[in-house]
Amino acid sequence: MTRGERKTLWLGLAFISPWIIGFLVFTLYPLAASIYYSFCDYDVISKPVWIGALNYKDMVTDSVFWKSLGNTFYFAALSLPLSLIVALLIAVLLNNPVVGRPAFRTFFFLPSLVPQVAIAMIWLWIFNGKFGLLNYALKWFGLDGPNWLADENWTKPSLVLTSLWGVGGSVVIYLAALQDVSRELYESAEIDGASAFTKLWHITIPMISPVIYFNLIMGIIGALQVFSGPYIMFGGGGPNRSALFYAVYLYENAFSYFQMGYACAMAWVLFLIILFLTWAATSSTRKHVYYAGE
Amino acid sequence: MKHFLGRIAIYLLLIGGSAIFLVPLLWMLSTALKPIDQTMSMPPTWLPYRLYQQQAGGLVEVKSLEAIESPSALIQLPDAGALTVIPLQRMQDGQLKSTDALGAEILVPVKIIKEIPATRENPWSRIAVVDVAADDHEGETHVAAKDWDVVPASTLIHKTSFRWDNFTKAVKAMKYFPMYLKNTLILCFLTIIGTVSSSALAAYGFARIPWRGRNKVFVIALATMMVPFPVVMVPIYSLFRTLGWIGTLKPLWVGSFCAAAFNVFLLRQFFMTIPKDLSDAARIDGCGEFRIFLQIILPLCKPALMVIGLFQFMASWNDFLGPLIYLTNQKDFTLALGLQFFQSQHGGTEWHYLMAASTLVVLPVIVLFFFTQKTFIEGISMTGIKG
Amino acid sequence: MISKTRLPILFCALLAAVAVATFSAGCSKQPNDRTPDGRIIVQYWEKWTGFESDAMQAIVDDFNASQDKIWVEKLTVSAIDRKMMLATAGGNPPDIAGLWAFSVNNYAEKSALTPLDKMLEKAGITRDHYIPVYWDLCEMHGHMWALPSTPASLALHWNKKMFRDAGLDPERPPRTIAELDAMAEKLTVVSVTRNGKKIRVHYPDLTPEEKEKKDFDLLQLGYVPSEPGWWNALWGYWFGGSIWDGDRTLTANSPENVAAMTWFQSYPLKYGLNNIQTFGSSFGNPSSPQSPFLAGQIAMVLQGVWMYNFIDKYSPEMEWGAAAFPSVDAEKLPNVTVAEGDVLVIPRGARHPEEAFEFIKYVNTQGPMEKLCLGQRKFSPLATMSDDFIRKHPNPYIKTFIELAKSPNARTVPRMSVWLIYSDEMGVAFGQVGTLLTTPQAALDDVQRRTQWKFDRVMRRWDLVKEDRMKEWSQ
Repeated sequence: MTRGERKTLWLGLAFISPWIIGFLVFTLYPLAASIYYSFCDYDVISKPVWIGALNYKDMVTDSVFWKSLGNTFYFAALSLPLSLIVALLIAVLLNNPVVGRPAFRTFFFLPSLVPQVAIAMIWLWIFNGKFGLLNYALKWFGLDGPNWLADENWTKPSLVLTSLWGVGGSVVIYLAALQDVSRELYESAEIDGASAFTKLWHITIPMISPVIYFNLIMGIIGALQVFSGPYIMFGGGGPNRSALFYAVYLYENAFSYFQMGYACAMAWVLFLIILFLTWAATSSTRKHVYYAGE
Repeated sequence: MKHFLGRIAIYLLLIGGSAIFLVPLLWMLSTALKPIDQTMSMPPTWLPYRLYQQQAGGLVEVKSLEAIESPSALIQLPDAGALTVIPLQRMQDGQLKSTDALGAEILVPVKIIKEIPATRENPWSRIAVVDVAADDHEGETHVAAKDWDVVPASTLIHKTSFRWDNFTKAVKAMKYFPMYLKNTLILCFLTIIGTVSSSALAAYGFARIPWRGRNKVFVIALATMMVPFPVVMVPIYSLFRTLGWIGTLKPLWVGSFCAAAFNVFLLRQFFMTIPKDLSDAARIDGCGEFRIFLQIILPLCKPALMVIGLFQFMASWNDFLGPLIYLTNQKDFTLALGLQFFQSQHGGTEWHYLMAASTLVVLPVIVLFFFTQKTFIEGISMTGIKG
Repeated sequence: MISKTRLPILFCALLAAVAVATFSAGCSKQPNDRTPDGRIIVQYWEKWTGFESDAMQAIVDDFNASQDKIWVEKLTVSAIDRKMMLATAGGNPPDIAGLWAFSVNNYAEKSALTPLDKMLEKAGITRDHYIPVYWDLCEMHGHMWALPSTPASLALHWNKKMFRDAGLDPERPPRTIAELDAMAEKLTVVSVTRNGKKIRVHYPDLTPEEKEKKDFDLLQLGYVPSEPGWWNALWGYWFGGSIWDGDRTLTANSPENVAAMTWFQSYPLKYGLNNIQTFGSSFGNPSSPQSPFLAGQIAMVLQGVWMYNFIDKYSPEMEWGAAAFPSVDAEKLPNVTVAEGDVLVIPRGARHPEEAFEFIKYVNTQGPMEKLCLGQRKFSPLATMSDDFIRKHPNPYIKTFIELAKSPNARTVPRMSVWLIYSDEMGVAFGQVGTLLTTPQAALDDVQRRTQWKFDRVMRRWDLVKEDRMKEWSQ
């Protein structure tokens, strides 16, 4: 390394030093400590005591753990495709040459700005069994709405509905992507007499597939970690723990039962699940994701 | 023609869809402006109102205590002399059917004051004059207990009236609202400064200084985005505990001075689009790297910095898990945590206050959005596409 | 131009200044632990409110006046269990906390408490100074974690007027479970339809067919074990049973516990589940004037020494008595009770453990303790009580409660770490058995299986950490 190169190196490191410090203090050390704690009995108050793989073994037989994992997957499996479809549909609608597009875009986008806590409050009120707006609206259609928050079969769907309300961010992203799709493709398709659906399926979706893929990955990561909504709306997990999500149970283990070691072990399992799903999503969509210039 | 119908369908879908998306917010606002009894009415009312009755001295504000939808009578009980409304089917020969302590049926002689020919289509209402002097806290309209009357509901006059004072009352009920606001603003201020300054520095280091191995380090930085917060939650908590920072605001903002990978990534993309000649020219003029960063690159990147600052504001304003873990004293709570705390204490009944408080938490964000709409939308689009 | 180049630098300086200012402001937030006259402030969190709080405040004032080194500051804290644990975990606990005795084992195992052994030894405080059960309540894994503040024991409370009305001797409460059941029948009044007319009869006067059909309304109940139902998990004690072997095996489905639960189920079976539920829906909160015992809807009830306070407050004209709750066998198993109470602990990481202990020690001397317990109308947990204390005590049956607490059959909640889980599971089991959804044997087998699994898990963990924890605690 020449003197100049060394100088550049130090200069570069100096500039990224905030990140280096953050990486060491808030990522690398916690990762290492977290692995260690996951093999310990640790309650923060006294020193961690090594107990081998007991935390992981206990997890296998902990029925609440499985329930929370099941709930989380159920939620993710329902909310991910639904929000993808809803967001894409709205974006496609907005991508038409309509008058007042910015206003419509704003209307769809606004809810995604609302803080999680306020979202939970608003929907608690809308789902209210007695005076709730939703069941009143359902009555118009002759439907007798369920007791959303007290019926264990409906707690997760109610959270899915809540999450759908916040798809505005994805709508904006998809809309931006749609506007980058060249008009010529559509025009030539129209000459061939393609229907709207064919155009959507054969042009639009493939052309914006990288964005869909990106949203999918972020969605998986986010959905598996949902915390605030279920925690605020259902506290300890709702009727028969039907709304006890993985992150909520993890939080409870850490800060209600002070089984920090167990919480760390759970966190690592979550990490592995996320890594696996990301890998699975990547390899299964690789063939279908279109990257310009490839 | 087909084309025209398609356009109509698109507009209908857009209007219907955006209505569905807006209704929850409007419902929040509507509830926030109602007195408590109107929050619990079925069917729900959208516009809060006050009821008036035409009396000798002019319009008098009244409150509806209950609706009567079947033929009834206003009667006076024999001993206590209390007035009560009884459905007609409980009357027999001008006497009240009742049961004694053992369940045997008896007839009680009563005095009928007023016949009420109410039906479902033509309901009557039991009303009482609102005691304006007592109408202060609790958000309840107070009525004098004894002075009530029964009148046809159609004779009552509705006037739309928003209870703006719900906001002041909700703030009072939350007890430390000004503290919550102050803490939240402190956190927003510090984290925006921390994030913007540190991410800009780090992004510059990654984008515009050609040091050896920077691409490898940058990949590591990107990889850290995959780490879920729960994995590092316990060790970080333990670290802050050792420092004695639990129960203070510090754990919530100190970290923002250590550039987060996502922001570094966004800014780096932006920095790389700036022509290299610009810095080279400055270097020839004898400018140091830091001066180039401050005086040449940063001014060109204002939009990107705005985006990052805006996102950080949203993150700090909305953050719930962080305050939940680190804050122990109610006076140190942020708005988000304070709102949840208020709900856990008063939840279930005082929906008008809860919605008023929620409105106060939501409103600043929405106002901010309308002032910075362009930055917002561009920023969000940027995060999606470049990802 | 100059101002423009300086701007970023100025900006950075401002940033740094703000950061430093906030930082130092945060640091100076360290709570001041001295009074202006140099006394050490001891933070004391307590759950009590109302007159119970006032009684403790008087002791705190006395203590603060008795010396000039320590100043105890008492704070009423709601949901104290969780708040104390969070504060302890966050490294910022109070110096003293007033907890329920049954939560001591949980906190001790979490290392959230300071062991008191050394300080007790130095102060010369031993088990002999106490009614033994109350000392034992504070012990776990061979260490002492707390000292009692106010104790309680449970007894049968009965309504003498209702006894008289039913033709029973108002001065003779039941002595065995069988007697209790028989008396309860005589004290039960129902309304039944005969020949198209509703009439009011005592339960024993019903015809066998009417008893079988259960087509009547309850107007008054002699007794029902589900009211207030706070100690359902412990009914086995009155049948000679136990909850565990004291080591690591649970005995939830032992014959005695099954017998207890069968007895519990006999009430809805006898009087009709629907009838009891309908009647029970009119019951108020046990500590309100609408409590069925205070309202004269139920003639007998198992309650703690505090019941006197509610009788005195809401129904002072009531003629009542208190005696040992009957067991299956009056000869072999006399004076069974459950000893409970409140305790004082020093959380781990408290800044002033020595000073905190000074106060706890003060509370546990005869004078202050009797003043406190008199104020709360309880008895003293200390072995010796002054005659004056008993004489002045407003509760006419206070001696009964003391006797019960001193009885060899005074039991406590088991000091095992899975107690809370066990008690939750038992709650579910009693709910199912009480609503006739399952048999006592099946329900208890379920509790045994589920809780033992959890217990094994906890013990496996304990075996691995035992050595380190013990070492830590004896330091």
